[in-house]
Amino acid sequence: MFKSTFISIGLHVFFIIFAYYGLPSFKIKEPIESPIDIVEDTPISSKTSLKLGETRVKEVKENKKVIKKEKVKKTPPPPAPSKKMVEKKNAELKKKKEIREIAELVKKKPKLNKKKVKKDLPPKVEKKPEKIKNKQKENLAKGILNTLTKPIKKIENSKKVEKEHNNTEILKKIKKIAGNSNRQVQQTEIKLSVTDINKIQNHVTKYWNVSYAASEVKMVITLKISTNVDGSIKSVKIYDKNLYQKDKFYRATADTARRAVLDSSPLPLPKGKEKKFENFLFDFDTSFINNY
Amino acid sequence: MSNYLNLSFFKVLILIYPFFISNLLADDVRIKINSGQVEPLPIAIADFTGEEGKANEIGRQIAEVISNNLVGSGQFKAVESAAFIAPPTSPSVRPNFTDWTPLGIKALITGSVKSINEQQIEVEFRLWDIIAETDLIGLRLSVDAQAWRRVAHIISDEIFERLSGDSGYFDTRIVYVAESGPQNKRLKRLAIMDQDGENHQYLTDGSFLVLTPRFSPTTQEITYLAYFKNEPRVYIFNLETGEQELLGSFPGMTFAPRFSPFGDKIIMSLAEKGITDIYTMNLNNQEVIRLTNSSSIDTSPSFSPNGKKIIFNSDRGGSQQIYIMDANGRNVKRISFGKGRYATPVWAPKGELIAFTKMLKNKFYIGVMSPDGSGERLLAEGYLVEGPTWAPNGRVLMYFKQEAPIDDGKSSNVNLYKIDITGFRETRVITPSDGSDPAWSPLIPN
Repeated sequence: MFKSTFISIGLHVFFIIFAYYGLPSFKIKEPIESPIDIVEDTPISSKTSLKLGETRVKEVKENKKVIKKEKVKKTPPPPAPSKKMVEKKNAELKKKKEIREIAELVKKKPKLNKKKVKKDLPPKVEKKPEKIKNKQKENLAKGILNTLTKPIKKIENSKKVEKEHNNTEILKKIKKIAGNSNRQVQQTEIKLSVTDINKIQNHVTKYWNVSYAASEVKMVITLKISTNVDGSIKSVKIYDKNLYQKDKFYRATADTARRAVLDSSPLPLPKGKEKKFENFLFDFDTSFINNY
Repeated sequence: MSNYLNLSFFKVLILIYPFFISNLLADDVRIKINSGQVEPLPIAIADFTGEEGKANEIGRQIAEVISNNLVGSGQFKAVESAAFIAPPTSPSVRPNFTDWTPLGIKALITGSVKSINEQQIEVEFRLWDIIAETDLIGLRLSVDAQAWRRVAHIISDEIFERLSGDSGYFDTRIVYVAESGPQNKRLKRLAIMDQDGENHQYLTDGSFLVLTPRFSPTTQEITYLAYFKNEPRVYIFNLETGEQELLGSFPGMTFAPRFSPFGDKIIMSLAEKGITDIYTMNLNNQEVIRLTNSSSIDTSPSFSPNGKKIIFNSDRGGSQQIYIMDANGRNVKRISFGKGRYATPVWAPKGELIAFTKMLKNKFYIGVMSPDGSGERLLAEGYLVEGPTWAPNGRVLMYFKQEAPIDDGKSSNVNLYKIDITGFRETRVITPSDGSDPAWSPLIPN
């Protein structure tokens, strides 16, 4: 009983091992030599080269157009340009060229992305198996597709590297032309100058009329202001409402401050910096009364 | 449970965080305004409207009194009613603010008078902020028709306080010495009136000489000095009841005593053997305590508002100057160092200033200084200006001024004046006859 079971198990194991190693077609499909040659010749080169060729043609056309434009510009040349002028113009042209190059590179970027999308859904690859009728050819095609997937991935990876390289190139060129990019970012922030503030201060000061009793207010009265773009006052709110209710000196003086702000409308807001004054604070300080 | 609370707390924090941050970011611009004007505020006081003739007339008079009070304070400038585009009809009707802004008006007072019955009236008023387009205060008072003037003073106080922050001083009275007759036979009577000179009454008949009345800071009582058969006596007069009490005879007394801030003591100077010193008397047990003991003349003592210090004038340094000491008479220190002589120092109700009379080069001055002697400012001057007394809010001073004599044998005019502590606005208080030694009352209790 035991013997027979051992024998059957042993046989089963033997057959499995034999089948596994003796029949390699179960594990790996054997490569066929001839189709590999075909793959190298036609499909890869034709597909990829066509597309690349198309873009190149476009590029050439674009370049031609650019050249034409330049020519148009060059038609009315100055009668007698001095050396300095020539140098300046050359420098300008160089800059322009650099800018164009960057622009082109930037323009290329989305195109590459578009291609990527197209490659993700390649219609030609899908159509091919339809054209092939024989089973062998189908197998060959499958084999081709299997082999194709790997190089395509490699190409994509290489393109990503290229894109990254292009990006760094663009950044480098932008930095060359614009100098320090951080400085540009800082310049875009709205900063108020002392004169901007002084102008508003002096304007409001004219309208602030307080009584001597305001000297009893020992703290700064803060008002929350919101303005329109033209400097007109949208709203004035007294910040410390609690103190406004409790302290009669604070209340009366805060009212004078509110009147001053409303009376001074519109405020002389600095041009281009109106956004800064959409919401801001006025601190009214009564300590000057002691010097009266 | 605690975990749950912690979680919910953090949830709330996370929820409010963006609002907090946005709020902070929104208000990153702060502009400091540390200069401005201290000028009279332009106001409009419309006649208080009434349903019929009598109420209308009272309404007009109330508006006039309010106007006089506020303008007289030096802090307001009334715009002529003739300039009003559309006079308001009732205090309950919101005015058309655009009608008032072209006149430069910042505040508007509207009111009405209604007759409740033959004796009583109902007065209502409202204060409007023309610029902020809002009402600031409103009040309705039912009073005897005869007391319309007092109503006007109460309304003035309310408006003054709301617009300046300071307490008003219009519902107050002045006791002073009314003078009449030639210089050699001068009749001096005690008289009382409203701070604007109205409702004038004599308190004594002139049968004996009266001097230097002083108001109690807490009650409607005055002390005054009267020479009865050439003997100086101090009386306490209760203005509400009309009763007066003899406090005692004080030989060698030249000025009436002043009350302590709590009204339980009086402080005075008494002369004995050519030496004048300062004493206090407890009004409950008549106990007298001597505070100074020097060979000089120490007079005109006045308590600080907290009762801890006393100022007085003394010639102990060679000339008449102002000194300060503790309430028990210790730590005497001179505080006036300017040229000339200083007299009659009076502590302001808030304690931040001391008013005084100064004599320099044949001229008299009324001035103020800090209790440490710094910041001396002279407010008024004249041939003879003397006896400053503070309004209860400490913003206005009253004193008397005598003109230089023109003809021999005839007394020159002596009148009462008031001035705000800025010194910009000096106004004469009209009295039926000459007046001197004014004393300003605290606010009249309702």
